[in-house]
Amino acid sequence: MPRLPSRWCSPCATARRCAEAMRPAFLFFILLCLLLALDGALLAAGRSRSKAQGASLGKLAAATSALGLTDLAVATEARYTRHPAVSDPMAPFMDHPGAIEHFPTGAFWRPPSSH
Amino acid sequence: MATISRTNLEKQLNILDYALSSLWRRRLKSLSVLLVFAAVIFLLASFQMVTQALTDKARQVLVHTPEITLQKMSAGRQEAIPLAYQEQLAGIFGIRKVVPRIWGYYFDEVRLANYTVMGMAVDQMPEGARLDTALASGAMPGPDEQGRAVIGQAISKALALEGRATFSLFRPDLSLKGFTVSGEFSSDTDILTNDLMVMSLADARDLFALPSGLVTDFCIYVANPKEIETIAKKIAAALPSVRVLTRPQIQKTYQVVFGWRSGFGSICLLAALAAFVILAWDKASGLSPEERREIAILKVLGWETSDILAVRFWESVIVSGLACLAGMTAAYLHVVYFAAALFRPVLMGWSVLRPELQLAPRIEAGDVLLLIAFTVIPYLAATVIPAWRSATVPADSALGG
Repeated sequence: MPRLPSRWCSPCATARRCAEAMRPAFLFFILLCLLLALDGALLAAGRSRSKAQGASLGKLAAATSALGLTDLAVATEARYTRHPAVSDPMAPFMDHPGAIEHFPTGAFWRPPSSH
Repeated sequence: MATISRTNLEKQLNILDYALSSLWRRRLKSLSVLLVFAAVIFLLASFQMVTQALTDKARQVLVHTPEITLQKMSAGRQEAIPLAYQEQLAGIFGIRKVVPRIWGYYFDEVRLANYTVMGMAVDQMPEGARLDTALASGAMPGPDEQGRAVIGQAISKALALEGRATFSLFRPDLSLKGFTVSGEFSSDTDILTNDLMVMSLADARDLFALPSGLVTDFCIYVANPKEIETIAKKIAAALPSVRVLTRPQIQKTYQVVFGWRSGFGSICLLAALAAFVILAWDKASGLSPEERREIAILKVLGWETSDILAVRFWESVIVSGLACLAGMTAAYLHVVYFAAALFRPVLMGWSVLRPELQLAPRIEAGDVLLLIAFTVIPYLAATVIPAWRSATVPADSALGG
């Protein structure tokens, strides 16, 4: 029995022929749908993460009110980024006259202007 | 009517096909533009998501912060406040409770880490009895227990306790003060307690060698929360040398502390702006001779100016839309699943104790529209206008006839 030409049994060749037969707009539509499906899945996963984090809010509330906490413990390198709410805006420049602020986190945290 | 709309749809689909084929013909250039565009959107969206998630967390948590915090200022610096001020505060009508507190920073020279040390009578604070719920193990030390402390997760790791329950810290005169770990804060509260060490007021006074009669600040609670501002004004009038921080002021701090005007925010914004200026300049400087020739041939073949504009419009929509979608998706993955790993060097700097950030940014239609307005719409304008200028030129002159 003669063997079939390889292009007939190769899945890649078949897929390529299918793609060639489709109009580009349809292929683009499929790509868009895949991206949107990924975003939808991420959004759903994000919602469940938010719910899980919501469950720990009670512990955070207890710690804040029982200890009178005023700030998030994100940047611990300088007192004005560890406690921006209770540090004065001059704190970054107080080490000596003409001192400039030099901690890296100072670039991310804007000096509070509410005081 | 239905036939006309079907014909119109078919026409737009054909134009879309042509636009996609055109992009595929120049795939290297199209892919480069798409990648740069997506990177710019990724940067902007990541910054927006990180700051929004942190601001949200602060807003949720800081509603429980003390109603008024009182600090003493001298020569522009914060200094210890006399306990005797409590007597003057007692005369102000509306104050329900004043809780003195000693807190400060302890620099561990071995581990190069800063610990936040806090000494107070927790049982006097609101919800003080519930604080045990925020602990992963152990319990808060009682009011009369000395030499016992509750520590955050990062301190436990930094001290490498590994089953030990004791550790020592240096007083200012370099003598050692021993502590027993009476509990550890839960990892769920890391965003607040990661670097925190809580002990009794007497232990904190001993550790920092603070003279008796002085504390760091007062937490003040009022009978009627609507009167916070009024009572704050009364305190400021009665004690002119103090700084009065109210709960709304503290909450407001975190609404403004992360923003585009911070150094890093400005860098993100300026980088995006520079990329767009280069892109717009490249596009506005006119189409290449090949593109002008292509437009001329299309016009000779019977295409109208509006059809050519539609092709350019679709090309821009495809590139900017895909870049926007890919950039925002990558930003979300970066912030949520990689805990904003690219921003951590700036967000945490030289901090030795770093919390495990579990950020959950809100994705709101307003933010997405804002990002689109700043990125996609300028790109559309930058590409369609030169195409319109070129498409209105007579075909024979474009072909050199």
